[in-house]
Amino acid sequence: MAEKIGKHIAIYGKGGIGKSTTTSNISAALAEAGYRVIQIGCDPKSDSTNTLRGNNYLPTVLDSLREGNKIHLDDISVKGFGGVLCIESGGPVPGVGCAGRGINAAVNLLQELNLFEEFKPDYVLYDVLGDVVCGGFAVPIRDGITDRAYVVSSSDFMALYAANNLFKAINKYAPTGGAKLGGVIANSMKPGYHREIVEDFVAKTGTSIAGYVNRSIDVQQSELYGKTVIEAKPNSAQADIYRNLAKYIAENENLVVPNPLGSAELRDWARNWGDRIYDIESGVVGVAEAI
Amino acid sequence: MSNVIRNPRNGCALHGALQTVQEINGVVPVVHANAGCGVINYLANGGASSGTAKYSGFSVPGTAAQERHVIFGGASRLREQIKNTIKVVNGDLYVILNSCESAMVGDDVDAMTKEIVEQGEPVVDTLIAGFNGGTHYGYEHVLTDILKSIDNVKKSEYQKNSKLVNIFGIIPGKDPYWQGNLDEISRILEGVGLQANVIFGATGSYEDLSNAKNAALSIVFSRWGEQPAKLLEEKFGIPRVIRPSLPIGVEGIKELVASIKDVIQLDEDKLLSFIQKEEIYEKNLLRRVRDEIIENGLSKKAVIVGDEEQVIRIGGFLTEKLGVEITAAVLTDALKKDEEHETQNDELLKHISNNVYKSVDQKDINDIIRGSKPEVIFASALETRVASKLDKPLVEISYPIVDKLIIGKTTVGVKGLVTIIEDYFTVNREFENAKRDRLVKELKNETGNNQWYEKEDSYSRVRSNKGLYIRKQEFSVSNG
Ligand SMILES: Nc1ncnc2c1ncn2[C@@H]1O[C@H](COP(=O)(O)OP(=O)(O)OP(=O)(O)O)[C@@H](O)[C@H]1O
Ligand code: SF4
Ligand SMILES: [Mg+2]
Repeated sequence: MAEKIGKHIAIYGKGGIGKSTTTSNISAALAEAGYRVIQIGCDPKSDSTNTLRGNNYLPTVLDSLREGNKIHLDDISVKGFGGVLCIESGGPVPGVGCAGRGINAAVNLLQELNLFEEFKPDYVLYDVLGDVVCGGFAVPIRDGITDRAYVVSSSDFMALYAANNLFKAINKYAPTGGAKLGGVIANSMKPGYHREIVEDFVAKTGTSIAGYVNRSIDVQQSELYGKTVIEAKPNSAQADIYRNLAKYIAENENLVVPNPLGSAELRDWARNWGDRIYDIESGVVGVAEAI
Repeated sequence: MSNVIRNPRNGCALHGALQTVQEINGVVPVVHANAGCGVINYLANGGASSGTAKYSGFSVPGTAAQERHVIFGGASRLREQIKNTIKVVNGDLYVILNSCESAMVGDDVDAMTKEIVEQGEPVVDTLIAGFNGGTHYGYEHVLTDILKSIDNVKKSEYQKNSKLVNIFGIIPGKDPYWQGNLDEISRILEGVGLQANVIFGATGSYEDLSNAKNAALSIVFSRWGEQPAKLLEEKFGIPRVIRPSLPIGVEGIKELVASIKDVIQLDEDKLLSFIQKEEIYEKNLLRRVRDEIIENGLSKKAVIVGDEEQVIRIGGFLTEKLGVEITAAVLTDALKKDEEHETQNDELLKHISNNVYKSVDQKDINDIIRGSKPEVIFASALETRVASKLDKPLVEISYPIVDKLIIGKTTVGVKGLVTIIEDYFTVNREFENAKRDRLVKELKNETGNNQWYEKEDSYSRVRSNKGLYIRKQEFSVSNG
């Protein structure tokens, strides 16, 4: 593959954890700072860029592919807030066909269309569906597409479990030129021991935290307006949180190959935390002591 | 651990299913696969011994799935293909054959089939995906799947026929002599007062499939016929006889008949007179070649390579009748790791050779052949190289046989016994002749003399008790 144009960043995370929200706000913040940004939703739901383009209709790459006509970049992309180029890979009807292969085909097609040469982005963000369930969903972190991945996670066990799976995938592909990990984006953080759980997980896996994003009503409200927080509430504290996160991700060059926990190890680690949380919640010990 | 299989001689389950279905007159296969899955089988098998039905080889209807069918699912493409096939191709039954691709994508082929069956069309689907197993698996399971659902898609008469016998376990194409072997089995069964339900080839058809439920008996001639016979037993109470192999020679026929008699009654007079005739025929022909067998030293050390059934049948004959010593036998069936057949032939195989191996890898097979120091090799065209390197004659008995056209020849029964002796003798003679020619040429080069030519004829007729060897010192070349 030729010299990459722009930084290519994949964002992973368990379903519903806040990937699209976070990615869109990062894109918006980068655009606001004057960068040329592309956001590609790699998810059959094709709702990744909704808040960047006011919920307007955008045909997906695979919709166009299905129709079999010649595809032009204009047919499958639209400029959203701050000029962010929005693209949705799309996918098959739920329960039919192979979504993994669909993402693969969509990404290939974008390269064939010379998307990056034409648009000359500074940043390309890939919002990738859920867990890395099969090879298709690992495409964005395999050789030649992105060089860095971030994972959005809360302190919930299943979210960390999905993060750990991503670490496994990175571990597998990094030696052959796949992406490395930029860090964990801790989303929907509530006060209390939640931070320590994520911090402990990060320490155990040799990774780091890219930023903390609070759970905030601003996010939900902006979403209802079909906007990112950056656009709808530019002066809010939440907008600044996203700006800081965007800045970190834009500048961070500390990319690592994580050491994922083994299944048993992860289970033991979780059980251990379960005991501690119980003690904290029932007031036996304070947070600091529990840790 | 994964390793390379050199010269694999078995296809995938789809291939087995396809080469089975396309040999049934009146049955039309519809291959639901990416382009290439179907045709590669035809190309690998070579055209000659396949293609009974009209829709075989290059003319098999198929969906030729593309990337978009992988992504969005290929079920609607399949629907289109079945409808078009029914429109342009007359068939009594259409059989949908799945591939790895359709299975991995998860196309709901069942639903698609049901939809078309509800419109009154005779379509059955199979649960086989390419990766489920090898050619043998494909044969066994496609037959079972068809027999399982044929009555639901096309009503047919249910009327027991006390003489009808289902024949299972002969895989079209995998047994290079399958057509002739089916013919010979039919002749034998007819001889003892029964009627073979052959299903495949020139005399079989779709009718036989729907008639299978009316049979009095199923005979399973290799482990790969177990499942369909078992299904008919469970569903229609048809007893089954499991044989380790097809019969060869009168003795084989007698054993077969005895096992049939354990289950159903036979007309004793008819049986006796048939067996007598076969005995006379065999004796007569064997008498003619007895001297040749001894003079040509056919009781050699041999290695045999082929499917289990072939090794048992032909290997057994070679050891018992020709005094061949089988130093190693290689079974080439595409067995699965969790092989679950009832058939257990270990004891039987021990009588054929002390060294029985299972392998489909050419390197293994070559190593076994080399290590066993054979004087003759009974195997397939794939062993041509090792045979020529070892400078030993190769008698082709198992798949693939390339340079010999086999359409109706048989290696079963008394006639089969004759075929094998003929082939063995011919190959051996040709080998010795070629060897002699080589020696003669060498000698010519050494002496720079042409005069020996005049004497060649008389030399070639010199027989020693070791056969037609012409040794260098036998040439007395005069320089004058
Ligand atoms: N920091 C936050 N504060 C409040 N709400 C949030 C926050 N992050 C995400 N949400 C809400 O959570 C919901 C799910 O978020 P989002 O759609 O971004 O998740 P996702 O990981 O992209 O989901 P999917 O896997 O379904 O694509 C949304 O309604 C969003 O508004
Ligand atoms: S193994 Fe699968 S992909 Fe290969 S030919 Fe068979 S069905 Fe096709
Ligand atoms: Mg999303």
